[in-house]
Amino acid sequence: MENVQEQSVKAVDQPRKKSKWNQILKEKWLYLMVLPGLIYFILFKYVPMWGIVIAFQDYSPFLGVWNSEWVGFEHFQYFFSNPDFFRLLRNTFILALYDLVFFFPAPIILSLMLNEIRLSFYKRTLQTLVYVPHFMSWVIIASVSYVFLTTGGGVVNELLSGLIGKEVNFLSSPDWFRPMIIGQIMWKETGWGTVIFLAALASVDQEQYEAAIVDGAGRFRRLWHVTLPALRSTIVILLILRLGNFLDTGFQQIYLMSNSLNRSVADVFDTYVYFVGITEGAFSYSTAVGLFKSIVGIVLIVGADRLAKKVGESGLF
Amino acid sequence: MKAKWFRYVILAFLVVGILLVAGCSDDSETAGNDSGGDSDGESSGEKMNLRVFVPTFSTEPPTDDSPVLKKIEEYTNKDITMEWVPNSNLEDKFNITLSSGDLPHVMYVPSKSPSFISAVEDGAFWEIGPYLEDYPNLSQANDIILNNSSINGKVYGMYRARDLGRNGVIIRKDWLENLGLEEPKTIDEFYNMLKAFTEEDPDGNGQDDTYGMVVSKYEGPWDVMQTWFGVPNKWGEDENGELYPAFMDDNYMEALNFFKKLYDEGLVNEDFAVMDPAQWSEPVVAGEAGVQVNVLDEGHRIQEKIVDANPDNADPITVIKSVETEAGLNNLPTSGYSGMLAVSKTSVKSEEELKQVLDFLDKMNDEEAQILAENGIEGQHYEIVDGKYESKITDDAALKAEVDGFNQMLMYLPEPKSLKAESTPLRELEETLKVENEDIVVANPAESYISEVYSKKGQQLDNIIIDARIKYIVGQIDEAGLEEAVERWKSSGGTEYMEEINQLHQDAQ
Repeated sequence: MENVQEQSVKAVDQPRKKSKWNQILKEKWLYLMVLPGLIYFILFKYVPMWGIVIAFQDYSPFLGVWNSEWVGFEHFQYFFSNPDFFRLLRNTFILALYDLVFFFPAPIILSLMLNEIRLSFYKRTLQTLVYVPHFMSWVIIASVSYVFLTTGGGVVNELLSGLIGKEVNFLSSPDWFRPMIIGQIMWKETGWGTVIFLAALASVDQEQYEAAIVDGAGRFRRLWHVTLPALRSTIVILLILRLGNFLDTGFQQIYLMSNSLNRSVADVFDTYVYFVGITEGAFSYSTAVGLFKSIVGIVLIVGADRLAKKVGESGLF
Repeated sequence: MKAKWFRYVILAFLVVGILLVAGCSDDSETAGNDSGGDSDGESSGEKMNLRVFVPTFSTEPPTDDSPVLKKIEEYTNKDITMEWVPNSNLEDKFNITLSSGDLPHVMYVPSKSPSFISAVEDGAFWEIGPYLEDYPNLSQANDIILNNSSINGKVYGMYRARDLGRNGVIIRKDWLENLGLEEPKTIDEFYNMLKAFTEEDPDGNGQDDTYGMVVSKYEGPWDVMQTWFGVPNKWGEDENGELYPAFMDDNYMEALNFFKKLYDEGLVNEDFAVMDPAQWSEPVVAGEAGVQVNVLDEGHRIQEKIVDANPDNADPITVIKSVETEAGLNNLPTSGYSGMLAVSKTSVKSEEELKQVLDFLDKMNDEEAQILAENGIEGQHYEIVDGKYESKITDDAALKAEVDGFNQMLMYLPEPKSLKAESTPLRELEETLKVENEDIVVANPAESYISEVYSKKGQQLDNIIIDARIKYIVGQIDEAGLEEAVERWKSSGGTEYMEEINQLHQDAQ
């Protein structure tokens, strides 16, 4: 009996397997073209992921992964019970929230505005110009900010002292740190962020606009009832993706802009991982911190995806 | 037919692409093996290949075909590959190199940082202490400095000697003369000088465009000035022989209040907390600020820049050691060395190889090697005219790029032997003050102790106090906030740190 069954299973299975193989063979060039990308991701993205095991060890680069001592969840326990934890969480969270509230809508608004420009030449030039800051490094932006915002000679402060009669210490005041960071991000990335929305806008059916005009819709009505609904799924997907990086505040920018006077609000997970991991050589501990951050990211991304599906969007997975 | 031909082209591209991807990882592996193999398969007749990791202050460090390097290789009988690291991101590059586990043979260690200590504990470096007596120059190292640079008494790197009394005050002499002031002797005169430099138009241009003292993000000057007030150097010792951190000293508040007064009255630059230390000397050169608390030898570098820009102003700078307060005349010493050269265990595998590396380090202290590394080759980079040294590299960027930076490999043991330019009065004054300083510097009783807690949390602990001090100076926090910071320091591991240091202190008695 058993033998018969097994044979029949094989008999059913084989042709299917063969057909799959045949299909692959038929499209072999496509698969071959995927190969370099695949190798790249396996080699540089998946293989290094094994490195997270050092979060559960007392890792030393001179002993290697295999000879370092295993400590289980000790680093996590230490991190969560550390007085720094809540300060870091709070700072990271507030910055991330600011980012979501102020920066995330900025490219949408800008691309809607660009979309309303009818003069094609003017629109294109403008588009290109707003991309430019994206290609500057944070080092340059930090030094430009310094030149502009410093007291005693900074352009902005010169203006302010002319207008309101006093200077504002943007660079070294904890109150100004977050607005300054968000302002820099907006200046640098808003233009670049419009790329994807403008592409989505280009695919909006022009007939819909014509129909709306026939129905007597004004400019704002068209924006509200035609353009925005067309952008909705793009916005949702980008929002989900953004949530996955919720706790990524970026290291370079924060590191460059922080100093003794604003460190109380500037210390975030990313800079903490650097200070503890690189300057103090606590590799395992900082890996544990980084891993915690990534887990929060995964939870947020899956949660947001579920939520999006619940409200009727297509979601990510 | 045509389609088929096209397919082969694509296939060819893909194969090349894959080979490239695979090739990249291959390359790095073989490169690693190469250096390992070279030193492994060492026979006594062959030149040993040495990778040397040192900082460079120049944007164009010497290349491997520099004639000076060739001479140094010849003299030390080694095949040297320089790994230059820009000084501005030295700490990062140092730590990243440590974390990679693949260390050069000779590695410059900037300080006994937590990362270096943990690397030593993991066995990354040779303990060279017991070998030193076999080498004519290395054996003459100063015991006190050797102990300062050691980790719990064990020597893991050859220190690069520097003057103990290197700190001082650099003053615009031309401004003093314009205002008819004397060099300050006491803290009150120091304060009055800063005030005059800020308010009385010391450069005589009729504009209110000067201020007293320039300070940058770098916290060193505050450390130096607080010792003037009698604050100990990192650790103080009370009447019971217990050690306590400097910021718990009674004089600490007095020093901080003085700093605060300077800041409140605009006698220091308002933006000091965000100012890049790389631009620290510029305001003095540009005639915006009149005073800088720095190493004494920065004095002649500033002087040379001012004279370059304005040859009429021939003698614009003077230097002093420190000023007197109720606590007497004090100054902060350097630790007597500026980093050390350590020998890694990952590249130098056997004791035999270690001895060759130590032989190299020893030879670098010979007069010939010191002159090569600092001055270059006679006739090419310098000349001796009437028995006096004359450098040819100052005006020639290409020549300079052949020499500049090799002196980072020098340890000056037992003393510097390279050739010196004819001294100026300012340089002579600097040297005299360095010697005089040695009588008034405050020693750190815990200099050689290595605390476990500090090697884990040192950076965070230090930051709490450094940040609080600066916040107090600019008025972001008051005395209560300062106490809060001290409490936070204690609860973040400071208490254990103090106990540990005191334990080590008792054991050492």
